[in-house]
This record gives sequence, C-alpha cells and structure tokens, in this order.
Amino acid sequence: MLAIEPSLLIEYVLLIAISGAFICAAVHFMPVGGAPAAMAQATGIGTGTVELAAGSGLVGLITASYMYANEPEASMVLVVAAGAMGSMIMLASAMFSGSLIYAFGVGVPFASAQVKKDPITGDRQDLYMSKGTQGHGIPTICFVSGIIGAALGGAGGGLIYFTLMQIYTPLIAASAAAVAGVFTMGVFYVNAVIPSYGVGGTIEGIHDPKFKRVIGKDIFTSFAISLICGIVAVLIAQGMVA
Amino acid sequence: MSDIKERSPNQLMAFGIFGGLIGIYLTLLLPLIGDIIGGPIADIIITIAPAFGALGGICAVMWGADAVRRVAKYGLGTGVPSIGQIAMGMGIIAATFGLAIVKTYIIAGPIVALVTASVIGFIIGWFAQNVIKMKIPVMIRCMTEIAAAGAIVIIGFSSAVAGNFEFNNIMLHVYDNGVMLAVFWVGAMAILHPFNACLGPDEKQKRLLYLAGSTGAITMAVIGIAAIMTLGTSGIITFLIGVVLWFIFYKKFWDEVYLDASSVVGTGLIPKTEA
Repeated sequence: MLAIEPSLLIEYVLLIAISGAFICAAVHFMPVGGAPAAMAQATGIGTGTVELAAGSGLVGLITASYMYANEPEASMVLVVAAGAMGSMIMLASAMFSGSLIYAFGVGVPFASAQVKKDPITGDRQDLYMSKGTQGHGIPTICFVSGIIGAALGGAGGGLIYFTLMQIYTPLIAASAAAVAGVFTMGVFYVNAVIPSYGVGGTIEGIHDPKFKRVIGKDIFTSFAISLICGIVAVLIAQGMVA
Repeated sequence: MSDIKERSPNQLMAFGIFGGLIGIYLTLLLPLIGDIIGGPIADIIITIAPAFGALGGICAVMWGADAVRRVAKYGLGTGVPSIGQIAMGMGIIAATFGLAIVKTYIIAGPIVALVTASVIGFIIGWFAQNVIKMKIPVMIRCMTEIAAAGAIVIIGFSSAVAGNFEFNNIMLHVYDNGVMLAVFWVGAMAILHPFNACLGPDEKQKRLLYLAGSTGAITMAVIGIAAIMTLGTSGIITFLIGVVLWFIFYKKFWDEVYLDASSVVGTGLIPKTEA
C-alpha cells in the first residue's frame, strides 16, 4: 500500500529538490568572508559559509514552522514567505551589528575588493582598500546581496518543512513536526556545505566574479542530491504506514 | 613522519562499523537476554543495556574523526566544522530512513541506515569530486565513511536515550522532545573537533584518536543527562560511564600532548614593565 498518491509523490520530491537548490543558491548570495573577514582583512561577515547559511536558514525554519503551527491551513506561499522573512531579519541584524563593530570597533571603511565601483551606490571602492587586504566590512552591495540570499535560504527551509509536513502529518500526527524539522535540518546542512565547497570558503555576493563561475554546477549538484533526499523522505513515509 | 605507526583506515573502519553495530544491537539484545534469565541479574542487564548504544557511538566517533582527518588534511577551504555538519546532515537523513523503512523488521534498521548513509555519502563525494571539482583524491571514500559514521553516531546515541532503536520509540523519546538536536550537535562536535583541534604540521593520529575518544565520551555524558529524563536509572549509568571514559581518554590525550611537546614550561604572567 502506498502512503501517498503517486502524482503527489513526484510533486513532493521535486519540491524538496527545488528547496535544496534554493538553499544552495542562497549560500552564493551571502557575503561570507571567513576567518580573514573576522580580522577585517576581507569583505563580508567574519564567519564560515555553512554557519551563515545554516544560521539564517534555521531561523527561517523556525518562523516557517511557527506560521504552520498557528495556521495549519496556511498556503505554501505563506509558510515560505514566513521562512524568508525570518531569515532576512536574522541576517540583516547579523550584518548590521557586524557593521557597527567593523565601523566603530575595528575602524575600517567598507570596501569591496572585487569591484571598482559599488553597483548600487556607485561609490569608488579601491580608494578605501587597505594595502594587503581583500577589502573589509560589508558594503551596500554585499548587504543587499546578503538579504536576497537570506530570503532564498529561508524560503528553501520553509518549503522543505512545508512539504514534509504535508507528507508526514496524515501518518504521524503528533510527531510530524519533530521529524519534519529534524529532517529539514539534515537536508539543510547537506545543501549548505556542498556550495560552500564550491565557492571555496569565501564569496562576496552577487557581484563577485566567482558567483557566475560556480553557481551553475553547485545548483546542479544540490538539486541532484536534494532529489535523492526527497526520494528518501517520501520512502520514510512508506515506513510509517502501520 | 612515516616512521610513526598509524592505524590503517580499514582497521578503523572495521572498528567503527563492528563496534558501533555491536553496541547498537546490544541495546536490543540485552533486554531479551534479561527476559530469558529473569531474576535480579535481569534487572541489572536491562538497566545497563542503553549505555552500550552510546559506547557503539564512541567507536563510530573515533572512526569518523579519523576519516575527517584524512580528508580535511587536503584543506577544504571552508574549515573542518563544515565536514562534521555534513556528516551529521547525511547521517540524520539516513538514520531516519533506515529506522523507519524497516517497519516490523526492527533488527535490520541500523544496517539499512548504514548502507543508505554510505550510498548518500558516496553520491555526495562523487559530486564533490567530479562536478564541483575539489580535486581531493580521498574525497569519495572519506565522504562515504563520514556519512556512515554519522549514521552510526546518530543511531547509537539515540538508542542510548530511547532505550532501543525501534523507530516509534526513538520518535517518542528523541525526536518529539528535541533531544535529537543535542544528538545532532554534540555528535557533530565529537566528530569534527578532534581534527579541528589537532591539525597542524605535527598532527599525529594517536593523539587525535584519544581526543576523539574523549569527545565521544563527553557526548555520551551529555546524552546520559538526556537519558535520565527519558529512562531514569539507565541514564545515570550512561552518564557515569561517559564521565569516567572522558577522564580516561582525556588523560591519555593529555599524556600524548606532553609526550609530543618538546617541553612544557610554566611562563607565569606577562611581567609588568615600565617602558
């Protein structure tokens, strides 16, 4: 006996694969500077790709599940939007407080090493770069790119959660949220780490030349792997049928 | 550094898989044996059974930490923690799948999870190597091993909290109350921390394995605290064994550090000098 209708089955698997691709794309938008940025020697937030993606994505997961818990009839768009919103707030506050420290604590002007002029404000960047560094702080373009990335990550997390809830709730009503949440976390980490290998640890955001170079193959990889995760998730449901 | 004798990857793999699986299966077998024997001994056997799951988890942690060491030596570009997190991510997907899919054939669960984890790990390793082009020769093998170790760690520590690895039981005692998050994170730390702490030019496998044992043991202690909540007395035993093992392994790690250091001297505080 099948736990789910075959037509829905394919839809669920594809939705999970698409969310994986969302999360993967999100990582590329984040201004991740890694350890050098923590010493204000590279542009971006001073932590790893995975930490940022997972941090913002998991907050998105929390807000998405909060929406789902309070409004079980909520449409997919609402849940996904709630995820994106939570994630954006989280990353914006992280970047804002980071910027305060870079500006008033470390005392560096914000400059990107990858572009000569900020594509949004048009300000010159190279004049403000300290010698021997790869830029510092979080310029406007990085901030905006980061917000877009966070929205994608949160939407991806929310979408997986929503899909899994659709699969599991009819089968294990009480534990569905827990299993869906934990499984989402697993998929999330896998999809946050894969692109971080692709970008090689640091990326400035949408304006970084690396962005165009790696995003294609990374998204393909994440899509393929999330497809497998999706199949696994649907198969788990077969195990839950008593 | 070739004169230093190291445990081969295959030895550690056998240790991780068999040690891990034996520990996990004992959580199911010991209560059955106890039921057959009966009497006061049975009570003792049944009470200590869940602790074996955590001991199996420690075996897998040591194996996983060595696999992390082999792959992270090449420099991942994202730091060692990322590989511990992907290990647990793959492990949790495979463990949930393996335990849930077998339905009534509970006994097959851990093995199905192990195989699933290996397959997922292999595919991710293949993609990392051939699509993302990371150019790390041991990538595929190590990714497979890390995923498998992650799955055993998850199942081992989960069964220490839930009492056995029956899916409904684990769902009730590990997923619903959120203990899974502790298993996930503390387990990830246990696998990723040893190499993250030891890496460097004079990194040695022996020292790393002792540290892996100590991180595994402290995970067991943390899981023991969670198990006190779900299982009571069994949890106290898991906790105590974890703490004792932690002392033993940490002392061994400490000795290794002293052995490898050229000398250890107390420098005191920085002297106050007037310029």
